Amino acid sequence: MMKQTLMVLCIMFFSTVDLPAESRVDYRTEVKPLLKTKCFACHSALKQKLKLRLDAASLILKGSRRGPVIVAGNASESLLIQKITATDLSQRMPPEGEGEPLSADQITLLKRWIDQGARMPDEAIPSAPTEHWSFQQPVRTFIASSGNPIDYFLTEQLAPLGIQPVEAADRAVLLRRITFDLTGLPPTRSQLKAFLSDDSPRAYERVVDQLLARPEYGERWGRHWMDVWRYSDWAGFGKEIRYSQKHIWRWRDWIVDSLNADKGYDQMIVEMLAADERYPGDEDKLRATGFLARNWYKFDRNVWLDDVIEHTGKAFLGMTFKCARCHDHKYDPISQSEYYQLRTIFEPYDVRTDRVPGQVDVDKDGLARIFDARPDALTYLFQRGDPKLFDKQQPQNPDVPDVLGGTFQIEPVVLQLEDYYPAIRDFVTRDLLMKADDSLAAAEEALLKVRTTSDAENPDHVIILTEKKRDLAQARREEVKARIEAEQAKYRRSDVSDLPDDEQLASQASRLEKQATVAEADVALASAKSQLQQALVAAQETPGDKTSKAVDASKAKVKTAEERLVKATESAAQESTSYQTLGPLYPPSSTGRRLALAKWIIDPGNSLTARVAANHIWLRHFGRALVEQVDDFGLRTTQPVLIKLLDYLAIELMEKNWSMKHLHRLIVTSRAYRMSSSVPLGNTPAREKDRDNTLFWRQNSRRMEAEAVRDAILYVSASLERRMGGPEVDHMQGMTVPRRSLYFRHARERQMEFLRLFDAANPRECYDRDESIRPQQVFALINSPLTLAQSRKLAGRLTEQLKSIKQPLDNFGDDGFVRAAFETVLSRSPVTSELDECRRFLTLQARQLGDTEKLDLLGETSNSVAADSDPHQRARENLILVLFNHNDFVTLR
Amino acid sequence: MGQSHERKAMTKISSTSLGRRTFLSDMGMGFTGLALGSLLAEEASAQGERSGIPHRVPKAKSVIWLFMAGGVSHMEGFDPKPELNRYGGKTLADTSLKDVYSDPFVQENFRPFIGDNERSFRKKIFPLQIGHRKRGESGAEVSDWWPHVGECVDDIAVVRSMWTTDNDHGAQLQFHTGRHISDGYFPTIGSWVHYGLGTLNENLPQFVVMGNPIGECCGGTQVHLANYLGAEHDGVMLSASDPLPFGKPAGLVYRQEQAANFDLVRRLNGLTAVEYPEDAAVRARIKSYELGFRMQMSVPDIFDTKSETQQTLDSYGDGFGRQLLAARRFVERGVRFVQVYHGGGGAGSWDAHTNLKTNHERNCKAVDKPIATLLKDLKQRGLLDETLVVWATEFGRTPGSEGETGRDHHPFGFSCWLAGGGIKRGVVHGATDELGILAVENRHYVTDIHATVLHQLGLDSRALEVPGRKRLDIDHGHPIHDIIA
Repeated sequence: MMKQTLMVLCIMFFSTVDLPAESRVDYRTEVKPLLKTKCFACHSALKQKLKLRLDAASLILKGSRRGPVIVAGNASESLLIQKITATDLSQRMPPEGEGEPLSADQITLLKRWIDQGARMPDEAIPSAPTEHWSFQQPVRTFIASSGNPIDYFLTEQLAPLGIQPVEAADRAVLLRRITFDLTGLPPTRSQLKAFLSDDSPRAYERVVDQLLARPEYGERWGRHWMDVWRYSDWAGFGKEIRYSQKHIWRWRDWIVDSLNADKGYDQMIVEMLAADERYPGDEDKLRATGFLARNWYKFDRNVWLDDVIEHTGKAFLGMTFKCARCHDHKYDPISQSEYYQLRTIFEPYDVRTDRVPGQVDVDKDGLARIFDARPDALTYLFQRGDPKLFDKQQPQNPDVPDVLGGTFQIEPVVLQLEDYYPAIRDFVTRDLLMKADDSLAAAEEALLKVRTTSDAENPDHVIILTEKKRDLAQARREEVKARIEAEQAKYRRSDVSDLPDDEQLASQASRLEKQATVAEADVALASAKSQLQQALVAAQETPGDKTSKAVDASKAKVKTAEERLVKATESAAQESTSYQTLGPLYPPSSTGRRLALAKWIIDPGNSLTARVAANHIWLRHFGRALVEQVDDFGLRTTQPVLIKLLDYLAIELMEKNWSMKHLHRLIVTSRAYRMSSSVPLGNTPAREKDRDNTLFWRQNSRRMEAEAVRDAILYVSASLERRMGGPEVDHMQGMTVPRRSLYFRHARERQMEFLRLFDAANPRECYDRDESIRPQQVFALINSPLTLAQSRKLAGRLTEQLKSIKQPLDNFGDDGFVRAAFETVLSRSPVTSELDECRRFLTLQARQLGDTEKLDLLGETSNSVAADSDPHQRARENLILVLFNHNDFVTLR
Repeated sequence: MGQSHERKAMTKISSTSLGRRTFLSDMGMGFTGLALGSLLAEEASAQGERSGIPHRVPKAKSVIWLFMAGGVSHMEGFDPKPELNRYGGKTLADTSLKDVYSDPFVQENFRPFIGDNERSFRKKIFPLQIGHRKRGESGAEVSDWWPHVGECVDDIAVVRSMWTTDNDHGAQLQFHTGRHISDGYFPTIGSWVHYGLGTLNENLPQFVVMGNPIGECCGGTQVHLANYLGAEHDGVMLSASDPLPFGKPAGLVYRQEQAANFDLVRRLNGLTAVEYPEDAAVRARIKSYELGFRMQMSVPDIFDTKSETQQTLDSYGDGFGRQLLAARRFVERGVRFVQVYHGGGGAGSWDAHTNLKTNHERNCKAVDKPIATLLKDLKQRGLLDETLVVWATEFGRTPGSEGETGRDHHPFGFSCWLAGGGIKRGVVHGATDELGILAVENRHYVTDIHATVLHQLGLDSRALEVPGRKRLDIDHGHPIHDIIA
C-alpha cells in the first residue's frame, strides 16, 4: 500500500509541468482522505449538518444550506477555509470537542487545492443511510403462480442462470429431516414404515401437521429461541450469584409453552420486554421477563444495561446499537445520544423474586421477574462511553432511534396493590401462616418428645430450652397472624370493615412482634444456660485448662443473652404501631417505557422486526440464512438477493397473527425444503454459478445441534424421559439423567461438556451456531458413559423384539438386527454393502470377544449398564455404538 | 461477528483437500474403496490438492506461535524510546513530530474499527514506565520488564516496524488472518501451515491451540480456524487441565474391541463418502476419527510430565509455563504449529488503558521467564534450529498517555520477534520514529510475518492459493529477508 502511495506521489511530481513551483494537489489521495477524517462524521451520507455533504464532488460544489462552501480558484473567499481557520472557537470546524483543528499543513493543502481550481473527478453519491434496504417497509410481491410462493421466488433467481433445482429428497431422508427440524428427535421405526407406505398425496403435509402439534415442537424451537434470546441459568462463585438469576427456568418454560400454544411473536415480544407493565398481575406472563432478568449482573450496572441494549437490538431488530455507546455509530445512522435514549428506557428496571405458592423462601423457589425499581432514575450520555464523564445538567429522554421511524408513545402504568406489594396476596399470607403453624407443630412435638423420655437423657435445662422454643414458635405464629391482619386492614380497608380499626391492629402487631423478639431472646438465654450446664459437667468430668475456659466462655454468653433479654423486654414495654411488613414494597407505578418500546418494535410499520424473525426461522430450516449476518441488518449488510422472498415471509408472519407455526408450515411444504441435499457429479450450471448454494437450488446437509445429538441417543434407546419443564437439572448429570438437553443447567462455565463439544450455544451470545468437526467429538460419541450405556440398552431391546416377532433367522438373526438398528438409529435401511460390512463386523467382533484372555482392557471405569456377557450380543452392542458414531447420525441430510 | 454461516457453507460445499494419507488402502474396501479412491484423486487434482511436499527446502519443521492478547507496549518492551522521557508531560506539538498523524501512511492505512479517530492519536507524551538496557552481545535494547527474554536476545530477531490497520482488538484476528475483522473471517496462519505441510506425526493434531481463548469481540475461535480451507485444518484447542474429555471409554471396553469399532465406523463412513461425493463434512469426519483414534494415547502423554526433571518443571512454572512445556513436547513429536495465547478473553489482559505499569509488570512476570525457559530448553535440546518461535501481539500502545496512567491502542508501529528456525540471531530490524509513533524504516504489515513463517517452512503462500478464493497481494505478504539467515 505504501508503495502505491509513493508511486502516485512520484508521478504527480514529475508530470505537473505546468505547475513547476508547487505541485498540483490530488483530490483523491490528498484531499478526500483529509475530509474523511475531519469532516465526514457530520457532513456525509451518515449525517448532514446544515445540509452539507462533503463525500462526493457534486455535493461539495452544491454547498450547505448557507450556500456554496468553496469558490474554485479562491481559497480565501471559500467558506470552508474560513471555517477551518476561524479563530473564534464557536465558529471553527471541526467544533471544539468533536475533533482536533486542522494542522497548518492540512490547511495549506486545502487552500492550494482550491486555489488550483478545486479539481475533482465525477463521483457517485453515496446513498443516504435512511435509504438502506432494511429500513424500508417490506413489499409484498403478488404472484400468479398457484404453487408455494417460496419456490416461485427461488425459481425467479435460478431460471435466468440456467440452474435446475435438484430432485426431491429420498422419502426416508425427508422424514428424518422434517422430524428433527420440528421436534429435535428422529422418527420412530413405525413412523418411518408408515410414511414410506403412505401413498396419499397429502401424506407429507399430514406428518407436518402432526409434528407441529407435538409438545416436542416447543422444546425444539424453544432451544433455538433460547439461543437468540440468550438463555442463561444463574452463574457465579459458590453460592454468590453474579450473572442471571435463580429460577430463570420459568422463562424457559414460558418459551416452550408459548411456542406450543403458537402465541404470536408480537405478543411474545411484549411479554418479554414488558409483561410487568402490560399484564402486571399475570404470573404466567411475568415469566417472560426472564429475557431482561437474565441480564442481571452483580458487579456493574453499566455492563448490565449495555448488554440489554445490545441484545434487545440484535435479537428483535437486527441492529448493532452497541457501537454507539462511545461515539456515533460508525456505519449505521444511530447517534451516541440515541444510544443513551434507548438506555433511558431500561434505566428504571431491576429484578426481583416474587414468592410462588407453597414456598415462602425465594431462595428455594420463586419467580424472577423485572419491575421498574427506580422510575425517576436519570440517564446521562457517557462521553466516549466512560461512565465517569457525563454532564449532570443534561439527562437523556427515553426515545427510539429516528432512522427506524414509527411512533414511540409512553403511558405510565398505575399498578394494583398486589403487584407492588406481592406479599399481601392471599396465597402468600396463607403460606406464611402455614409455615408458622408447621413450626409450632414441630416445636410441640419436640417438647412432647423430651418430656416423655427419661430424665437422665434430658436434664432440666434441655426441657426448659425446648419449652422456650415452643413458646417462640407460638409467639411467631401470633405475630405473623397479627401483622397479616394489620396489613390487610391497612391496605384493604373495604374488605375488613367489621374488624377493629387500623391503629388498634397496628399496635397489636407491633406488640406481638416485640413479644416474639422477647421469646427469641429467651430462647437464646435458655440455650446459653443449657450450654453452660454442659460445660460445667464437662469441666467436672475432665478438669483442665480447656474445659474451664469453655465454662468461662459459656458464662460470658449467658451474660450477653441476659442483657439482650433485658433490652428486648424494655422495648416490648413501649407502645408503638410499627412492625415489619410481610415482604418488600415496590414502587406503585411503572414508567411504561418498556411497553412503549415493545409496541414500537411490533408495530407493522417497523421494517425490521418481522424480517429478522423470518430470517432466523429460515436459517434453522435451511442451515443458511437469507440475510447471512442474522444479527446485523444495518448498513454493512447489503440487500439480500432473495429480498422478495424475505419480504414475503415477513409479511406472511405479520398478516397471519405473527404465527410461527404458519411460517414453518409454509417453509417446510415448499419444494425447496424437500429437495435433496446431494448434488449429482459433473459440472452443472449450479456448480459453476452458485457453488455455495446461496440461491437454494438444493437443500444443505447440516451437522445436528448438540442437543439434538444427545436427545436422539436417548430417544432411540427408549430412555428419554418425556417430562417437560421444571427447575434446571445439574449439568454434571447429563450423562446419566435422561431428560432432554434443554432442561440442563446452561450458563457460563456451567454447561454440559458433551453439549459444549458439539458447539452448544455460548450463553453470552449465539445468534447462529457453529458446526465444527473436531476429534474431541469422536470421544464424546465413542467413549462417553451416555453412548456406551444407551448402545447396550438399545441392542438388548432390539434383540428382545426380534425374538418376540419370530422372524426367519437369516444369518443367525443378524440381518434382521442390522436392519432394525439402521432403521432405529439412522432412520433408513442399510444398503447391501453396509449390510455386508455389519455382518462381517458382528462375526469378527463376536469371535474376538469370545476369547477375552487375548484382549487388553482399555476403560478404567464401569458403566451403569454392563456389557452383555454373551459375545454375540456384546458385538451387537458395539454395532449400535458404531451407528451412534456414523457420520449420518449427527447429520441432517 | 457471526460469520460462521460462511464457514458452515464452506464446510458443506468446498471440496477440501483430503490429505496425503491414502486411508482407502487402509480400508481394504474393495470396489467401493476403488470408486471412492478414484473419485477423490480426480477431485484432488481438480482442486490442486497439496502434496504436502514443501515448495523449497525448509529451514524449520515446526512453529511455536506465542500471542499476547490486548496489545503489548513496544516502547516498554523491545523498542525502548528514551525520547519519551525527555518530552514527558509535553504534547506532541512540542516535538518535531507534531504533524506525524497527517502522514499519508496513516491516512491510507488506518482503518479504525470504531469511529473514534482520537483514540490512537494521544497527544500528551507519556514517559517510559520502566528502564531499559542494552543486552547480550548484540546490544539490542530491551526493557527491564523482560529480563529473562532479554538474556536470550542474541538468539532473537526483533522486528520493530510492524503495523496493522485496526485500532481495536479485532486486530487479534487480523494478526492471524491478515484481514481486518470487518472483512470477515479467513483461514489463519496456522491453518495455512496445516494445509500446506504433511504431518510428521500421525498420532497428533498438526495444529494445536492452547491458552485462554481469544474473546468473542476479537475473533473468538476464528483466530485459529481454517475457514474455507475446511474443518480438518482447524486448530485443535487443547486444555492442559483436561486435554481429552471422554478420552477413555466409560466402561470396561477392550482395546481390540474399540479398534474394531473404529474400523467399522471408518468403513461405513467411507461408504457414505462414496454415496455423497460432494460432502466435504463426511471426509473431514473420517479424518477426525482417524486422528481421534490415535490421539487417545498420544495427547494425554504430552501433558503427562512425569519424565521431565523437577528443575525443568520449576523453570517453566505453572499456568502459561506449563503450556509452553507442552508446546515443546508437541514440537518434539513433530507437531507443525502450536499456537499459545496469553491473556485471551475480553479485549485481552495486556490492554493497559489505565495503570500500564501494574498491568505490564504483572503480565510480563507471568510470561517472561517461561518464554525464556522455552527458548533455552529448545536450544539445549537442539530443537531451536528447526523450531521457529514467534512472539507477537495485535498492536503496540500509544506513546501519548490515556488518562494519567495508561496507554491506548497503537496500530502504526509496534514490535514482535522471531527466533530459531533459520532466523538470524541477535538482530534488530526496522525502526519506529524517535517517539515510537510510526514505523518509519522497513515497515511490515502483519502478513509479512506469515510470509516469513511459510518461507522458513519451505512454503510459498501463492502456490497454496485455493481456486476460486482470490487472495490479494497484501494477504500473502513478503518474507522479511533481512532477518532470514
